[in-house]
Amino acid sequence: MAVVAGVDVGSLCTKTVILDGNGKILSYDIMRSGHYYKGAAEESIENALKSAGLKKGDISYTLGTGYGRGAVAEADAEVTEITCHARGAARLFPEVHTVIDIGGQDSKVIGIGDNGRVTNFVMNDKCAAGTGRFLEVMALALSVDIGEMGDLFFASKEKVDVSSMCTVFAESEVISLFARGHKKADIAAGIAHAIARRIMGMVGQVGLREKVVMSGGVAKNAGVVRAIEERIETSLLVPHEPQIVGAFGAAIIASERMSATIG
Amino acid sequence: MEKVLSKIAEVTSDPYGYVAGLKERKNKKIIGCFPMHVPEEIVHAAGLIPVVIWRGNEPVTWGHAHVPPYDCGITRSFVDDAVRGKLSFMDGFVFHIRQCLQAGEFPFIMERHFKPAYQKILYLPAIYPGDATRDFALKELESFKTSLEDFTGNMISDDSLKKSIEIYNKNRSLMERVYEIRRAKPEILKAKEVMQIVWSGMLMPKEDHNELLAELISGMEEKSITPQKERIKVILVGCLCQTLQFDILDLIEDLGMIVPDDDLYIGSRYFANPVNLNGNPMKALADRYLTKSPLCPTKGVWDIHWGDEAIKRMRDNDAKGIISVRVKYCPPHTCYYPDFRSKMAEEGVTEVMIEMEHEIISLEGVKTRLQSFAETIGGV
Repeated sequence: MAVVAGVDVGSLCTKTVILDGNGKILSYDIMRSGHYYKGAAEESIENALKSAGLKKGDISYTLGTGYGRGAVAEADAEVTEITCHARGAARLFPEVHTVIDIGGQDSKVIGIGDNGRVTNFVMNDKCAAGTGRFLEVMALALSVDIGEMGDLFFASKEKVDVSSMCTVFAESEVISLFARGHKKADIAAGIAHAIARRIMGMVGQVGLREKVVMSGGVAKNAGVVRAIEERIETSLLVPHEPQIVGAFGAAIIASERMSATIG
Repeated sequence: MEKVLSKIAEVTSDPYGYVAGLKERKNKKIIGCFPMHVPEEIVHAAGLIPVVIWRGNEPVTWGHAHVPPYDCGITRSFVDDAVRGKLSFMDGFVFHIRQCLQAGEFPFIMERHFKPAYQKILYLPAIYPGDATRDFALKELESFKTSLEDFTGNMISDDSLKKSIEIYNKNRSLMERVYEIRRAKPEILKAKEVMQIVWSGMLMPKEDHNELLAELISGMEEKSITPQKERIKVILVGCLCQTLQFDILDLIEDLGMIVPDDDLYIGSRYFANPVNLNGNPMKALADRYLTKSPLCPTKGVWDIHWGDEAIKRMRDNDAKGIISVRVKYCPPHTCYYPDFRSKMAEEGVTEVMIEMEHEIISLEGVKTRLQSFAETIGGV
C-alpha cells in the first residue's frame, strides 16, 4: 500500500505527517520554519522519514499545505490549510462541525458539513493579533517561557483586561499593567481572554455548530483553550498533537488522490 | 480584437493622461461624475464630456489632511488627487451625495481646496416608495440640467437629450452584447480585460467607445474558443463605485476559476437597463434611476433581495459560487452584507467575501481564501 506525506509549511512551524496505506500515522515532525521555507520543508520531510525508518523514494505522493505550501519542492499538489485542517479534524473527530485553528500568524474558523467537507470559513489576514506570534511577543513581555503561559492562566486570581489587539500596542499595555502592579498570572489570563474575544467574533460569522475542534499551535495553551470554551459556552475537542492537524489532513488528501490514481 | 484591447488597456493604464489629452483633442470641457448614479446623458447633451471619477493607484498623502482614514479608497484617492492638483484638467464635478455618507463630504472639500468652475450637488432620493420620490427625482434632474445650461450658456433641448440617450443606449446594448458573448464563451476575455472594457467606457466619449466596441464584438464573434471544462465558473458581486484590484482578478483565474458574468459596478451594473426613449427624456432618465437601475445597497428597494438577484445570476450562468468583493469602509455594502450572507447560507450557496483596501492588500491571504473557496466548490 502507498505511503504518503502531508507537509504543512506554516509561518512559524513546518509540520510533516507520514501515513501508511491504511491511513495510520507512521511518523510526524514539527520544526521551526525559519526564513527559508523550501529548506524547512525538505528538512521536515527528512526528519519524518527518519523517524518512520523510511527513505525519500518510499513516498508515493506528497501534498503541500500552509502559508508556504508553494515552497514544498517534493509536492505533487498543494491544497490550502483551511481544507486540510477541516479534513484532519473530521478524521480525528467525525462528529466535528466547527474547527478553530490558531496558528503562527493567522486564525481561522471553519464550518464543516455532515460529509466532513468545508462549508464556510473566515480567517484573519491583515494582522497577527491573537495568533501564535502574538502569544510569543506577550510571553517575552511577561518574561516567561511560552509553555508557561497556559499554566499561568489557571493561577490567576484577579480579572485584568487587555484591550489592545494590536500586537505592538498590547505589548505596551502589558508593560503598563506591570507598572500598575498587576501580577503575571492575571495579565496572562487577560491575554488569553483577549484572544478568546477575537475568536468569538469569527465564530459568530461562521456560526457555531458542535462539536468544536481546536487545532494549531495555540491549542497547546490550555489557558486560551479554557478562555475560548468560556466564551462559546461549549467544550473544545483538542487533539493530542493539535499542531499537526493540517499536515495530517494534507496526508489524508494525498492518500485519497493516490487511491484515485491507482483506481 | 487584440488591437482594441490594447487601445482600451492604454486608456485605463493612465486615465489622468488620457482624459487630459481628450480635453485638448476635443476642445470640450470635462465634467467628473462621482459614481455611481449620475445621469451622464444630461452632461453629454450640454456639449460637455462626462467622465466617471476613478480611484487612483497611488497611496494617499496630502488627502489625509482632509478625509479620515476610515473613508473608502475612492473617496480618499479622489480627494488626494484633487488637493495635489492631479485633476486640474477637470472643469467641474457632479456629486450624488445621498448615496453614502462619504460622498456627502465632497462638495465642501472641493469648494475649499479646488474651487471648480462648475459643481453640482445632486440629491436623488435613496428610497422611493411612490410618486412623491418620482416628482422629487425629476425636479432634481431638472435643476441639474438648468445648472449645466447656466454653466455653458446653451439650452439643452429635448432633441439633443434624446440624441445623447440614444448614444448611451447604444453603448449599453453593445456592452450587453460583449457580456452575452462572454457568457457563452467565458474564456474569450480575461476578467481584467472585461473590467478594462467597462472602465474605458467611463473615461472615453461614448461615441468613440461605441466604435471600439463594435470592432471588439466582431472579433469576439469570429474567434473560436476551446472551452476549458475543468475551470470552475464563479460570479463576482459588489465592489461598488471603484475598480477592483486587477491582481485579484488574475488570482481568481490563476486558481482555476473563470468569471462568465458579474454584478460589479465597473461591470454589468454600469450598463444595465437602457433608458426608455418614448416620451419625455427627463422623465425617462428619472425612471431609469428609480425603477430600472439594478438593485444596489445605496438605494432602498425593499421588495427585491440583492442576494436573490446574485443567486439567479449564478444559476443562469451555471456557476458554482459567488465571490463578494467588498471595498473596506464602504458603509452601504457593509450594512447590506450580513443580510446578503444570510441569504447565501439560506439558499446553500457557497460564497466568499474578499475585502479590498486602497493601499493595503495581503495578496497571500486573499489567495488562501480564494483557493479554499475554489477547493470547497470544487469538492476537494
